[in-house]
This record gives sequence, structure tokens and C-alpha cells, in this order.
Amino acid sequence: MRTARLGSSVITIVLSLFAIVSFFPLYVTVLNSFKTEKEMFSSILSLPSTLQIENYSQALQKTQLLSSLGNTVIVSVLGIAGILLFAAMAGYKLSRTPGKLSNFIFFLFIASMLVPFHSIMIPLVKTTKTLSLQGSIYGLAVIYIGLGVNMAIFLFHGFVKSIPRELEESASMDGCGQFRTFTTIILPLLLPITVTVGILKFLWIWNDFLLPLLMIQDTNDYTLILSTNKLFGEYTKEWSLILAALVLTAIPVVIIYAIFQKFIVAGIAEGAVKG
Amino acid sequence: MKNKYLALLAFVAPAFIAYFVMLVIPTLGGFYYSFTDWNGLAKSYHFIGLDNFVEAVTDDPDFIHSISFTLKHVIFMVIAQNVIALLLAILIESQRKMKGFFRTIFFMPNMVSLIISSFIWTFMFSQVLPQLAVKTGWLFLNQEWSGNPKAAFFSIAIVSLWQGVGYMMIIYLAALQGVPQSLREAAIIDGASPVKSLVHITLPMITHAFTICFFLTLNSAFKVFDVVYGLTGGGPGRETQVITLNIFEEAFSNNFRYGYASAKSVLLFAMIMLFTFVQVFVMKKREVEA
Repeated sequence: MRTARLGSSVITIVLSLFAIVSFFPLYVTVLNSFKTEKEMFSSILSLPSTLQIENYSQALQKTQLLSSLGNTVIVSVLGIAGILLFAAMAGYKLSRTPGKLSNFIFFLFIASMLVPFHSIMIPLVKTTKTLSLQGSIYGLAVIYIGLGVNMAIFLFHGFVKSIPRELEESASMDGCGQFRTFTTIILPLLLPITVTVGILKFLWIWNDFLLPLLMIQDTNDYTLILSTNKLFGEYTKEWSLILAALVLTAIPVVIIYAIFQKFIVAGIAEGAVKG
Repeated sequence: MKNKYLALLAFVAPAFIAYFVMLVIPTLGGFYYSFTDWNGLAKSYHFIGLDNFVEAVTDDPDFIHSISFTLKHVIFMVIAQNVIALLLAILIESQRKMKGFFRTIFFMPNMVSLIISSFIWTFMFSQVLPQLAVKTGWLFLNQEWSGNPKAAFFSIAIVSLWQGVGYMMIIYLAALQGVPQSLREAAIIDGASPVKSLVHITLPMITHAFTICFFLTLNSAFKVFDVVYGLTGGGPGRETQVITLNIFEEAFSNNFRYGYASAKSVLLFAMIMLFTFVQVFVMKKREVEA
């Protein structure tokens, strides 16, 4: 018994060491974002002697961080809304219409999940230029919809199988049209998987770097990550400024994480097992 | 009957059109352009057959170097990420208290985007660790983390691990929780040590998680871009340039050789397909046996 308890406390210590390593970079980043650079260079681990809020106001001024935040919210909301609506519709109908055609369409969606983004980015730049989707926040949202529906359809398709058909059948007997059946009866039932897909897509769009880098040129249209990237390039070594910007960029995701942790963890486990 | 297909069409069309324009056309376009000398600026281009592919594999030392660097990164990441993630998952599962706390801490870095992670770690490598080295006397912490090619390899791996391990840990944790408690207890009652019951009972029951996690780590390691871009920019020189960065530079920052860069993209696609198919095939077969 004693060895078991000893073993368990050794494990706790090992886990705690890993936890320190894992948490430390975030901790020093937040800590030093409140220091003057002079203080940072002399004592990087100590608590700030005075809270340098100016770092944050400077970061906000020099990067248009607020307008970038607005852009990122627009792209995320439109992208996620489009993906959820279109994928729910397609996933539902594909799942409910057995036959070769729908199997084939479903297979096309699934197969494309294997295509790496880096292999399509060059032609994608050309296609989006032709459609004049480039250089605009709304265009970017449309691109995310096109790139994101395949995996979402996959998850919706699987979920719909678990919903009994009787509900729709009685609705259609009562004279309810197909689209109304979908919006009033099916959509509410899809809520659990909708939350999962929504969170996964939020993390993807919010944290994505390469696609906005390729598509957005005007700084007024920058997403948060692009603004921070620009700041990092322009003010190298001005760490107090950069750290404040990094914290501001990461905060929204951390808040989302704090609120939705259960869903995020469940979504990843679920998405992975089915994928 | 007609009605049925009409409804199918109406429900699938919005998603399919968006998907077709953003994913199918560029995929086919990439294959098509890889056989041309299209440079992105000129309006016309010519078919040049396999010239791009021949040049990429025989006459482009930077590209070849990026392949070998990426492969090293892939091998290191697939092993390290899975070993650490599985270890953490097993240790957490063996705990009675604080499971949720440790899971939260280990998964948190995964919420921070890769490019922001690489900026945070640039700060760590250039400011925090050197100061720590002076204060603790652990001199190995004071390296030229992005200036020296060898250290840069590890700095890229460290950031990728820091950010990515939590994700795999979640998958392993979910799989471990799916193993019936009664099986483990039966083994312990029969006199098996915890380690033995882990190796002979628990691990064989989560082989599907191994397949998934190896697939995911293999894929993401092959496609590594953000971390390298943010941390070393491919430098010093082109020592740490990965395949994706090589393609990116070829297409967008050097000479706009879109056709040539497309050929490299096709090669990347083929490599990822080959490796993941072999991996999934081999591991699925083992799953069935286990």
C-alpha cells in the first residue's frame, strides 16, 4: 500500500513538472507584458514593480488592433455561420437519401479532406482573384466556407444517422415542406453536433495565419494575427510592445477555452475518433 | 423519384458549389499548372511536360534540402509527440485528484495559434532562457536557438511539441477512458503489476487511438509552416527551410514561378499521401490482429 501511495505522489510530481514547463511560457509572456523593457532585461521572472498599462495602449495604437479584432470577428462569424448552415443541410440530405449519387457526392467531400492546403494555395490565389474575393474580409469568409464544409458535412452526416426518421415522416404527412421540416424539426435536434463543429471551426478560422496572409493585403482588412505578425516584423526587439499585442491576440481564445472547455475537449475526441 | 433528386440537389448545392470552387478547382488546377511554365505574371504559358518535376528532384538543392529537413522533423515529431502525449495521458488517468486541472494546463497551449506560439517562444529563446541560464547556471539554456542550425531544429520541435502535445493527449485520454475498468481490475487481481496490465491490457485496447494520433502527427509535421515562418523564417540561410516554406517562397516571394511551385506542391501531396497510406494500412492491420 505504501509503495502505491509513494508511486502516486511521484506521478503527481512528474505531472507538476510537465505542467510548469507547459504553463511557463504563457506566464512569463503575461508577466513581462506589464513591465518596462529595462525591468524586463534585469529581472525577467520577478513580478512587475509597477503595472505598465502603456504597453497595451501603445500596442493598440500601433497596430489597429481593435479594427483587426472587428475584422476577425466578422470573418469568424460569417465563415462559421455559412459552414454550419450549408454543411447541416448537405449532411442531413446526403444521410437521408440513400443511393449511388449521394454516396458519390459524400465520398467526394470526404476524399478532399486529405488534400493539404499548401498544395492548393497557389491555384486558390488565382481562382479567388478571378472571382474578386481577394483583399476583402467577406471574400475571406466565403473561402473559409468552401474549405471548411467537407469535414463539417462528415460530422453532420454521422450525427443525422442517430436521429429517428419518424419525426420527419409525421411532419411531411402533416403537410410540412422539406425546407420547413429541416429548419423547424431537424436543426434543433442537430444542436450538439452544431456546437462541436462551430467550436472546431472557430479555433481554425481564428488561429489561421497562412490563408489571410495570402488573401489580405490592405492593413485596414487585417485579421488579428496578421496585425500581430506585422507588429512583430516592424518592432523587433521592442518586447514590451510585442508581448502586449500577443496577450491581446490570445485573450479571446483563452476566454472561449475557459467557457467551452468541455465542448472543445469532447469535440476533439469525437472529431478524431470519427475521422 | 425526380422530386427526391431535386430535393437532394437543393440541399447539397450551396455547400457543393463553395467546395467545388475553393477546393476542387484549385486541386485540379494545381495538377494542371504543374506541367506548365506559368509564372503568375505573364498571361500566356506553355506546356513543358515533366520538366518542372525533373528540375525539382535533380536541379534544386534547396528543395531537396527542405525535403530532408522536413523528413527529420516528421520522424522526430511523430515519435516525440506521441510518446509525450501518451505518457501524460497515462499519468493523468492514474491520478485520482486533479485530473481536470492537469488536462486543462496541458491542453491550454493548443488554444494559442501556432504563429503566436512561435512569437512567444522567440521571446523565450532570446530573452527568458538566457537570463534563466545566468541565474541557475544551466548553461545549455543559453543557446543560439534560431541562429545555430542544430539548435534551430530543436527550437522548431519544442514549439511544435509545446503547442501540439495537448491535442494528442486529449485523444489518448478519451481512448483510455473507453477501456473497461473491470478488465484492468481483473488483471490486477490475477497478480499483474500496474505496468504489466498497462502493456498487455490497456495499450492493446487503444490501438485505434494510435492510428489516429500517428495519422494526425504525421500530417501536421509534413505540413509544418507557421512555426518555422515565425521562429527562424527558414534560416540561418536556408538551413531550416521546410517544404511548405520552400513552395511559399518559390511562388510568392522569389520569382513567382507558379508552375514550378505547383509541381513541388504536387510532390508534397504525393509524399503525404504515400506516408499516411502506408501508416494507416500498417496500423489498421495491427488493430485487427489486436
